[in-house]
Amino acid sequence: MKVDQSLPLEYGTEQNQMNILGFWIFLGAEIMLFATLFASYFTLEHRIGSGPSGAEIFEITPVLIETFLLLTSSFTIGLAIHAMRLGRQKAMMGFLAVTLLLGLAFLGVEIYEFIHYYHVGATLQTSAFTAILLTTLGTHGAHVTLGLFWGLFILIQIKKRGLTPATANKSFIFSLYWHFLDVVWIFIFSFIYLKGMM
Amino acid sequence: MRELFPMKQVMGFVFSLLLTVIALAVYFLDMSFATGITILLVTAFIQATVQLVVFMHAGETEDKASIYSNAFFGILLAVIIVLGTLLTMIWDMG
Repeated sequence: MKVDQSLPLEYGTEQNQMNILGFWIFLGAEIMLFATLFASYFTLEHRIGSGPSGAEIFEITPVLIETFLLLTSSFTIGLAIHAMRLGRQKAMMGFLAVTLLLGLAFLGVEIYEFIHYYHVGATLQTSAFTAILLTTLGTHGAHVTLGLFWGLFILIQIKKRGLTPATANKSFIFSLYWHFLDVVWIFIFSFIYLKGMM
Repeated sequence: MRELFPMKQVMGFVFSLLLTVIALAVYFLDMSFATGITILLVTAFIQATVQLVVFMHAGETEDKASIYSNAFFGILLAVIIVLGTLLTMIWDMG
């Protein structure tokens, strides 16, 4: 395996470069997945039937906590990749662990939020609005859940094998995924919550 | 310790927090729907660009042309999907 030392470790081999480009193409498809969810949301958001509207069930505090947790985790995963490029394995693992803990906290608040929706009578079956709301939030939440396991396995692998072109490449691709989830959240925060409470 | 916190990323983080606070104005201040949605559109897209360039290292390597054109294509289709749906389903121009 030829490793090009002039490039960051995660880009070191031909295979690594292809993996990263391939993942960007996957993210392109993910953008379109969320675009269809947003398009459906905008179509159905006022079809509340006899159920509650967004303004009635959204709460600003948990939403702000979620936003802050995810923004900070996006920052710490960035620091993890920076530490990785400096070859600082311990620091890298620390930042990755903090990222996963922030992600877990985010998920905890989101689960609290879903329980709240259930208690105020906004379930998947209540109206077209609650159905598309929970589908959109749930799709993002499912991505975060998947990311938590993915990140945990990468953390274990780095502990076992150290920073190699292969583990660095996996970590970098995971960071792209995590930043992407943050971008999706920014749009959920702006165009579902803030727009709904305006 | 200092070398673990590069200026570029710290500033990116501070900037994204700032954009979130600006977006919050639509909740705390009284304004028209058009003004509010304009603020949200501007802050959300700037925020996404910060993530793409500062944190996702989009323009740093030789494959940047492929990465940017791929991201651009994804975003273009997303905009067509959302605007097209709004046009036919909400704004009644179908």
